[in-house]
Amino acid sequence: MSAITGVGAYAPRFRISAEAFEEAWGQFHAAGVTEKAVPAADEDALTMGYEAATRALEAADVDAESVDWLAFASSRPPAAEEDLTARLGAMLALSESATRQLFSGSTRAGTRALWAGLDALEADATTALVVAADAPQGDPDDGIDHAAGAGSAAFVLEREGPAEIVDRAEYAAPYPGTRFRDTGDDETQGLGITQYDRQAFTETIGGAVSGLEIDPEPDAAAIQSPDGKLPYRAAGAAGVGTDEIQAAATVHELGDTGAASVPLSLATALADGDDSVLGVSHGSGAGADAVVVSADGDVPTVTALEGAEPLSYAEYLRQRGVVTTGPPSGGGAYVSVPSWRRSLPQRYRLEAGRCSECDALSFPPEGACDDCGALAEYDPIELAGEGTIEAVTTISQGGAPPEFAEQQAQSGDYAAAIVALETDGGDETVSAPAMGTDADPDAFGVGDRIETTIRRVYTQEGVTRYGFKVRPAEQ
Amino acid sequence: MRDAYLVGAGQSDYGAFPSESYRSLFRTAFDAATDSVPKGLEADDVDEAVIGNLGVGGRQLGLSGPAVTEHVGLDGVPTTRVENACAASGFAVRQAVQAVKSGMADVVLAGGFEIMSDMSSDATKYWLGVSGETEWERLSGTTFSGVYAQMASVHMEQYGTTREHLSRVAVKNHANGAKNPHAQLGFECSLEDAQSAPVVADPLNLYHCCPTSDGAACALIVSEDVVDEYTDDPIRVAGIGAGSDTVGLFQRDTYTGIPASQRAGEQAYEMADVDPDDLDFAEVHDCFAIAELLAYEDLGFCETGEAGRLIESGATEIGGDLPVNTSGGLKSKGHPIGATGAGQVVEAYKQLSGKAGERQVENPTRGLTHNVGGSGGAAVVHVFEKEQEVSA
Repeated sequence: MSAITGVGAYAPRFRISAEAFEEAWGQFHAAGVTEKAVPAADEDALTMGYEAATRALEAADVDAESVDWLAFASSRPPAAEEDLTARLGAMLALSESATRQLFSGSTRAGTRALWAGLDALEADATTALVVAADAPQGDPDDGIDHAAGAGSAAFVLEREGPAEIVDRAEYAAPYPGTRFRDTGDDETQGLGITQYDRQAFTETIGGAVSGLEIDPEPDAAAIQSPDGKLPYRAAGAAGVGTDEIQAAATVHELGDTGAASVPLSLATALADGDDSVLGVSHGSGAGADAVVVSADGDVPTVTALEGAEPLSYAEYLRQRGVVTTGPPSGGGAYVSVPSWRRSLPQRYRLEAGRCSECDALSFPPEGACDDCGALAEYDPIELAGEGTIEAVTTISQGGAPPEFAEQQAQSGDYAAAIVALETDGGDETVSAPAMGTDADPDAFGVGDRIETTIRRVYTQEGVTRYGFKVRPAEQ
Repeated sequence: MRDAYLVGAGQSDYGAFPSESYRSLFRTAFDAATDSVPKGLEADDVDEAVIGNLGVGGRQLGLSGPAVTEHVGLDGVPTTRVENACAASGFAVRQAVQAVKSGMADVVLAGGFEIMSDMSSDATKYWLGVSGETEWERLSGTTFSGVYAQMASVHMEQYGTTREHLSRVAVKNHANGAKNPHAQLGFECSLEDAQSAPVVADPLNLYHCCPTSDGAACALIVSEDVVDEYTDDPIRVAGIGAGSDTVGLFQRDTYTGIPASQRAGEQAYEMADVDPDDLDFAEVHDCFAIAELLAYEDLGFCETGEAGRLIESGATEIGGDLPVNTSGGLKSKGHPIGATGAGQVVEAYKQLSGKAGERQVENPTRGLTHNVGGSGGAAVVHVFEKEQEVSA
């Protein structure tokens, strides 16, 4: 048997309402979605995956070092070719020898990753981490884009635990054209053949559920939600009532979260203490996975799904880069990709150095000691990801380096601070410059407490660089 | 060691000049400098040239020194380019003084130049951030306006310095620059203007930031052995000091002062055997309004934390106890990066030789120049002193 021992879930802080769309378009094409989450300009599936994964590890109280199997699932990974699990694993401080798998191709990717994790535990893995994150995107006048939300969920799987996976089954049948994105395209499309699309949805969901050996009789049903209506149309096929679907639904507040849809609903149901949960995904192609989770009502979860900031439709277009022109043409100071890579222990894991001569901390740990000036070796020490603002400014338009011109066009003014980052326990600090994120620049003042997270820093030569930023500490 | 003397200095106008090249601007400055020497100085007299420059917009990254000296007929003269960001030509002057003092040269041209206006605003952005700490500081989203704004945030928090204090720096320097025909922004501004301008990097607004500029400046440094061939009213380089520091602000122990400036100032005062009280004027590096206030403290014009009160008192206005940035400073006169340090020496020369026109300080005998690279990764200070007779 395999079990979920920790759950993490995350959604960006921005929300846009159905009314804002109606105001802009005269109508809103995503039935049943009242509002949806919008990723900030410095977020993507990888950073949202990191947010959920750190929370799942925290919930399960599992050391990153002990994770021996990692999966990352997204229908829209930020790079079409390049295995992002290497970066995600490094951000999470996983062992370099941990198995890594990437799942994509449809909105079913999240449950495919769960499948592979369960298979791995049945083989020789002991601690698996399944991360699903997504932010679908379509043409601005298309229903897929109107529904497109954002969010992520992650699960720590072990052989025993409070939420056992008691049954699973899958089903596939060919249904081309319901939802697709051709190679090189940026926007997901569908032909919009209403009855055909519904048949693909209900047939695969029904097929997967009828393959289950047990009759789940769930308290909550986490059904794939391309919009706020379709999952309810599949109630009969899934053998559940609409109340059970509603109990686990996230689509009404977060929108279509793609490959993270069923994982997010499953996480929500477990966080709510539901004992029996049926999860059924659907991915175009088409296929479906059904999974039954039996919980003892006490599954450790850490979630951050609350929306804090409403956006107008114009702000929504800016945040998503629809109406901005991209970075300025280049020249001048430049950090090469190899230079950036050398700094990853600092960017991802806040690795400072302790001077072997005087014991003072240096960040980054290179060159002569900032304190005693000795050209000594540094012993690596990971900082705790919390600290205090020592100096801060708000960078207004025109004040940003060119690397950040596009981000500023998308998301506006930002805070840039020098922060005193603490060691575990907070006895010592070392200073580092850091960009503010996840809050208005006004929320950053000298003396304020901060915590670190990982975000997109900038993209140059087509390569997105990720690294730590700071946000106001959770109270 | 031999004494070194400043016998002439001149500059081009600072501003945006689509019809000028970096070489033509340098020639204007060179001609102005040689013309200013009381008994005249010929190109043939020059033994050595040291030229400050950052990047010329990226079009002459190598050998930009000889590229301008050969243009003014100094081909054959050993020429070295000095790059210390915004302190490039302040350090060029220092190198010139060292060459003279060491006995290697009798007449040295110290100059600087920059062209910053003839490129797209995008391309300019790529140049402006290049002298900060690139991998961490810049990639946390700051250029210099952001880094100096961070310093201001702490100074305000610790010492009660206000936005109005910052704006008063702009008002004073514009009032001075309005009297300088070479100034780029040679107009007066009201305190209200200087407080209501658009924010660049909070708390710094547009009036708290210097412009980008084209321009060139030259100074002529000679030895005590030849000074009487050029002037009967010698101005001695009485003190020189310099310092360097971590390029990134976050690596320093203090954010409310510039240690390199403090070291440079202390050395220069000690060598000149003077105190800040002995100065009659000072040209300090006011790339941002907070930088002038930090300079007041770093150079001992007031106690730590008192700079806001000092600007408010009017003591640093022309007619006050210690006029600062009579030229208009970087704020009003302009800041063509590589030319700025030499340009400050031009103002010192004009003040000490009584040629500062409407902005002339009454009978000065001693003035200071203070030039900072980046946010304090390098700083250089000179004290110039008028002598009545050369001590031979």
